[in-house]
Amino acid sequence: MEATNGTPQSKAGDWRSYDRVLLPPIEDLHQLEVYREHGGYGQLRDVLDDPDIAPGDVTTAVKESGLRGRGGAGFSTGMKWSFMPEPDDRPRYLACNADESEPGTFKDRQLMEYNPHLMFEGILLAGYAMSIDVCYVYVRGEYADWIVHMEEQLEKLYDAGLVGENILGSDFSMEIVLHKGAGAYICGEETSLLESLEGKRGYPRYKPPFPAQKGLWGCPTTINNVETLACVPLVLEKGPEWFANTGAEQHPGPVLYGISGHVNRPGVYEYPTGMLISDLIEEVCGGMRDGKEFKALVPGGSSTPPLRADQCEGTTMDSESLREAGSMMGTAGMLVLDEDTDMVSYLRRVTHFYQHESCGQCTPCREGTGWLERIVTRIDEGEGQMRDLDLLFDLCDQMEGRTICAFADAAAWPVRYTIQRFREEFEAKVKPSIHPVSADVSSGADATAPATEG
Amino acid sequence: MSGFDIKRPIVELPDQDPEQQIPDEELVWTDAEKKKIEIWKDQYPEPEAAIMKVLWLAQEKYDYLPPEVIRFCADTLDMDHARAYGVATFYTQYYKEEEGTFVLDVCTCFTCQFTGGYDILHHLEEKLGIHAGETTDDGMFTLQSVECLGCCGSAPMMQITNGVYCHNLTTEKVDAIIDGLENGEVPEFTSVTLPQDEDEMGGNRRSDVAKTETYQTQPRAEHTE
Repeated sequence: MEATNGTPQSKAGDWRSYDRVLLPPIEDLHQLEVYREHGGYGQLRDVLDDPDIAPGDVTTAVKESGLRGRGGAGFSTGMKWSFMPEPDDRPRYLACNADESEPGTFKDRQLMEYNPHLMFEGILLAGYAMSIDVCYVYVRGEYADWIVHMEEQLEKLYDAGLVGENILGSDFSMEIVLHKGAGAYICGEETSLLESLEGKRGYPRYKPPFPAQKGLWGCPTTINNVETLACVPLVLEKGPEWFANTGAEQHPGPVLYGISGHVNRPGVYEYPTGMLISDLIEEVCGGMRDGKEFKALVPGGSSTPPLRADQCEGTTMDSESLREAGSMMGTAGMLVLDEDTDMVSYLRRVTHFYQHESCGQCTPCREGTGWLERIVTRIDEGEGQMRDLDLLFDLCDQMEGRTICAFADAAAWPVRYTIQRFREEFEAKVKPSIHPVSADVSSGADATAPATEG
Repeated sequence: MSGFDIKRPIVELPDQDPEQQIPDEELVWTDAEKKKIEIWKDQYPEPEAAIMKVLWLAQEKYDYLPPEVIRFCADTLDMDHARAYGVATFYTQYYKEEEGTFVLDVCTCFTCQFTGGYDILHHLEEKLGIHAGETTDDGMFTLQSVECLGCCGSAPMMQITNGVYCHNLTTEKVDAIIDGLENGEVPEFTSVTLPQDEDEMGGNRRSDVAKTETYQTQPRAEHTE
């Protein structure tokens, strides 16, 4: 690394010579035979064959690796697994969240296409660790072609004795079932996903009880993202220390960055966590399209607050650094926007999305998302007034934390932070105020939120 | 006297008792379908959980899900009609009304918005002479503007009738797809090559797909709404 004092440091180490592990460069790796030729299902065999490896040891290894969920929330996977109660007479379930509906995210689809067996092996290892009876893989309905593709591979797994009764001759049995969704963003929320699996409308559930206590059909259930589960065989193969030492210390491991928008070379890239945003844009993606200026970044799907270019300086792609910068890691589905982007128009589209996808269970969200969209649309069309900006903040206050699931928060954050960070664009679009005020103070006497960020 | 006429509803309610579209004698499963349903019922501790799969099967069979088909699916799993109806109406991919032969779902969610999703949508609107949400007179195409389809890297993109994805769209490409569809040719599955695979493996890693594309620099959007 040539970076020295004053120059921002990448936490990804020598990423230019990084060897991919989630999507290693092996032709036809998605075929069971090829995957096995390259040592696939070796970790599962080792774990099942070795009488000294207890289920709890797998959980311990995952805990030590520091693996954090790749689905958005970034919660410690080992910790989540340890919430599962001791086995009793109830069946135990694992749900693999392959709903991938967060706008800006497209990495799980590529993993399911190019290395589905890594996910399946991760499912089986997780299943062993938590004594799971059945794993349901909830794939969004739009991914019809990929579901067919995975069904073929799953059938081969059953034929090979890798899934089902007495896996590889051991006394561990587990089923894997593919479940096709039918188009609902909210089903990516874990309890909504459970409702959907039970054959109901995807209405999120109250927590507690948490799914580990009462999940599918009232039984202990754990929900993990595709990429999270795909990391599990790697943790065992390369050791928890290797995993913990890859990328950012507090948020380690390999990660799939799904980069889209105004860059020269978008796509899904595998690198360690903790990559500098500037490295990802300038070097990995070949810079901004048409030599334009970088303006804003949505770091991990539509729910994560957008960052201004200056907030991205020296910021790395891991939860700690992004939190300091004022956003979140989310799904690492990065949308890069250039200087020509109209952030009011951006926000209008995002609020439309949340209005369309609100499940309608809680009033603050069902009504609030509609109001957000109508007010932002009004501003975008030049019909808004200065006080509308305060009205939006007020609405956000009334939505955040007042609903069953985090959808309302996810809908409010982009509004709150886009206005705070790009306020001049909003002010330029609203009708001139009778009482002009500076951007540093709020236009309303009762405003509950500061007009701009610190 | 209030000028408000209580007899007239403020919101136009959907037809509460629509005419049956699929005759009763057609509402039967074939033996092969019955077998599938039995397998699905066994996959879950409660048969009701198979409703989503059964609705998908029904949609393949009848093209859409009018109330009688939803009731038929509910009866198959011995569940309440209302619950099945609730499921069918919650998820956007279940068609509650008859759609065109090909449903063109053009993604316009934020990445597509800024990379030309609306340009593709408006081009299709002009070409087909319909607005988003409408069906052409010949019943061939339904055009929809949809939320993120999980293909942001190869935007703008669209999906055809809950099936194949078409990536990196341009107006020329869309024209060719429409011409093909008019002759009944549905585009085949396309694998999108990872940029790192191009560098390290010289192209796509799958030898079993005929058609591949790469991620490309995304176009500039003319319209963002």
